[in-house]
Amino acid sequence: MWKKVYEWLDERLGLNDMYTNLLDRPEPTGNWWNTLGSASLFLFVMQGLTGIFLTVYYTPSPDHAYDSVQYIMEGVAFGWLIRGIHHWGATLMVIVVFIHMLRVFFTASFKYPRELTWLIGIGLLLMTLGMGFTGYLLPWNQRAFWATTVGTQIAGSVPFVGEFILKALRGGPDLSALTLQRFFSAHIWMLPAMLAGLIGVHLFLIIKHGESHFPTKED
Amino acid sequence: MNDETKKKINARYESELNKGERFWPDSIYKDLIVSLGIFVLLILLATFIGVSPEPKADPSDTSYIPRPEWYFLFIFKFLAIYGQIPILGKIEWIATVAIPGVAVGLLTLLPFIEKRPDRHYVKRILPISIMIIMVVGIVLLTFTSEVPTVAADGSKMLGILQSISGLIIPTLAYIALILMSYVFKSSTRTMIWTTVLASVSMIIVSGTVLALHPKPVVEETEVATTLVDQITAGQDLYSIHCTECHGDDGSVAIIEGVEGLEGEEITPINSKDVLYTITDSAMYEVIAYGRPNAGMTPFGKAYGGELSKSEIDYMTIFMRYMWDDRFEAPVIAPLFPALADGEVPSYDVHIAPIAKRYCISCHRAGKENNNYLMTSYEEILTTGDNAENNIIAGDEKSYLLQVIQEHAIMNPDKPDEELIGVMPPSKALKPNVVDVFVRWIMNGVPQTADEAAALFAVPTPEPAATAAP
Ligand code: HEM
Repeated sequence: MWKKVYEWLDERLGLNDMYTNLLDRPEPTGNWWNTLGSASLFLFVMQGLTGIFLTVYYTPSPDHAYDSVQYIMEGVAFGWLIRGIHHWGATLMVIVVFIHMLRVFFTASFKYPRELTWLIGIGLLLMTLGMGFTGYLLPWNQRAFWATTVGTQIAGSVPFVGEFILKALRGGPDLSALTLQRFFSAHIWMLPAMLAGLIGVHLFLIIKHGESHFPTKED
Repeated sequence: MNDETKKKINARYESELNKGERFWPDSIYKDLIVSLGIFVLLILLATFIGVSPEPKADPSDTSYIPRPEWYFLFIFKFLAIYGQIPILGKIEWIATVAIPGVAVGLLTLLPFIEKRPDRHYVKRILPISIMIIMVVGIVLLTFTSEVPTVAADGSKMLGILQSISGLIIPTLAYIALILMSYVFKSSTRTMIWTTVLASVSMIIVSGTVLALHPKPVVEETEVATTLVDQITAGQDLYSIHCTECHGDDGSVAIIEGVEGLEGEEITPINSKDVLYTITDSAMYEVIAYGRPNAGMTPFGKAYGGELSKSEIDYMTIFMRYMWDDRFEAPVIAPLFPALADGEVPSYDVHIAPIAKRYCISCHRAGKENNNYLMTSYEEILTTGDNAENNIIAGDEKSYLLQVIQEHAIMNPDKPDEELIGVMPPSKALKPNVVDVFVRWIMNGVPQTADEAAALFAVPTPEPAATAAP
C-alpha cells in the first residue's frame, strides 16, 4: 500500500530524482566549520516561525506596541519563550552568519566557480543586519527608540542625499508612528521575502557547485 | 582566468569528491547536531536570561543615553575615536559612510579582487592578515564601547589609548603588510609574525583601557512588568504626586491645605463620572499636560514635569484597577507586614513604605513642610525646623507621634497659633499605621530588620490562673 502511494507520488514529483540530486550527493570530506551555513539557515527558519507567532499579538503603533509586547511576555502562554527565542535568535544569527562568512573567506571558498555564491552571501549578511536594525525598534521601548534615533542619524550623515535617506527611513524628520509602521513592514515583509529568495538562490548554487573542499598545500 | 586553470580546478575538485563522503548521511548529521545545539542554547538563553524589561519609549526624555544594538556598537566606537583626529575628524561622513562603504565594497568584490586561484592560506597571507586584524579590531571596539574617550575628570588618556589600539596600530600594520607583500617580498613567516604582533598589541592596549576604566555603575530603571507591580508602582507615584490635592483615594471634592488652591472645587477623580468617561489615553494626557487653567500642573516630562511615559501609565493602571468597578483588582500584598505582639517595626520594612505612601508627597524637597523631609532614614531623624523634637526615641511626646494622633502642636510663643497641624492634613492615618510609628519611636527607631528583630520582646504570658475546684 505505502509502496503504491510512494510510487504514485514519485511518478508525479520525482522523489527518487530528488533523493539522488539533493541528498545522495558526493561531497569532499567534511569539516565542522561547514555546518555554519546550515546553522544560519536553521536560525533563519526559527526566526521566521517565532516571528510569525509574535505577529499574532504584536501591534505596530506607538500607542500599543509596548503594551502588546508586555502582554506577550506576561499574558500569553509561553509568550516569554517565543519572544526570548526570537530575541536571542537575532543575536545568534548575526554571529553565526558572520562567522560563516569568515570561514568562507579563510578557506577561499569564494573563488571560481563560487563567486556568485559569495556575492549573494554579502547580500544575505547585509539583510541579516537590516533585520536586526528594523526589528530592534518594534518593542517601542526606550532602548529601541533611542537606538533607532542614533542609527538613522548615521544614515543622515551621508553627503548630499543624507537628508533624504533620513526622512525616507523615518517617514519624516523625527521618529513617529510612520517610522514604526515602516520598520514593521520592512521587518516582516520586505526583508524576509528578499532573504528567503536570496537564500533559495544561495542554496541552488551550493548544490550546483558542491561544497568546496578544504584547501591543502596543493591548492 | 583561462580555461586551462578552470579545468585544473574542476579536476582537482573531482578527485576530492572521489575520496570524499555523501551529503546524506555523512554531512547532514553534523549540520543537524550543530542546529540542535543552537536550538538548545536558544531555549536556555530565553529561559534563564530572557529579555530584560525596559521602560516605554519616551521621546521627551532626552537624558536617556542612546545605544545601538550590540553588533553596531563597534561602528559607534570607531566614530568616537575617529572624531578625535584633528580637522579630518570633523568630517563625519568619512567615518560613517566612506570607510564602512569602502570596507563593504571591498568585501563584496573580493572574488574579483583576489582573482588568483590559490586557496591555501600560505599563498593568501595578505588578505588573511588584513581580515584577522579587522576582526580583532571589531571585537575590541565592541568590548571597549562603554569606555568614554574623555574621562569624567577631563583626562584624554583613555581616548588616546583607544585611538592607538583602534586606529593607529591597525593602520600601521596594514601599511607594513602591504609594503612587505608588494615591495619587500617578505617571507610568509615575517608577515604572520607582523599580524600576530599587531593583534596582540591591540589586545594589550584595549585590555589596559578596560582595566583603567572602572566599570560604570549602570543605573537600572525599575520596570514594573506584572500587573501587581504596575499597580503598586502606580500607587506609590500617585501618593507622591497626587494625594496632596486629590486625597489618597481620589475622593477630594474641595481642596484643603494646599497653598494657592485652597477651597478649589474639583471633580472627585475616583467617581464614575471621571472613570467611565475618560479613556486611558485621555487620562494619560490629563496627567501629562495637567489642567493648567484649573491649577493642575503638568506632570509629564514632555511638558516640563518629572514623570516618564511608563510612570504615568502605571498611575492610570492603578486608578483603573483600584477605583473603576469594571476592573477586577488582583490580590496585592499589604503595604507592610502586620506586626505581632511585641514585635518592633524597622525603618526599612515598615516606615519607608508608609512614609512613601502617606508622607513624602509633601515631605520632600520643594514643598511647604517646615523643612521636614522624609525620603530616607537620615532625613526622617535629622531634618526639619523642629528636628530636635520631631522624633525623640522612647518619648511619646515626640511631635511626630502627637500630630499623627490628631493632636496639633501649639507655638510656645503664641499659644493660639499652631506650630504643626495634625498630620496628614486631610485624612487621619489608620490605627495600625499609627501603631507602627508608636512602636518604632518608643523602641529606639531601628533602621534595619535585623536591628528591629534584636529588640523583639516576646511578652511573657500571664501565668494562667488555675481555677480552684
Ligand atoms: C542568511 C545567511 C546565510 C545562509 C542561510 C547561508 C547558507 C549557506 C549554506 C547552507 C551553505 C552550505 C554549507 C556551508 O558551506 O556552510 C553555504 C555556503 C556558502 N555560503 Fe552561505 N549562507 C548565508 C550567508 C552567507 C554569507 C554572509 C556569505 C559570504 C559573504 C556566504 C557565502 C557562502 C559561500 C561562498 C558558500 C560556499 C561555501 C563552500 O562551497 O565551501 N553565505 N551558505
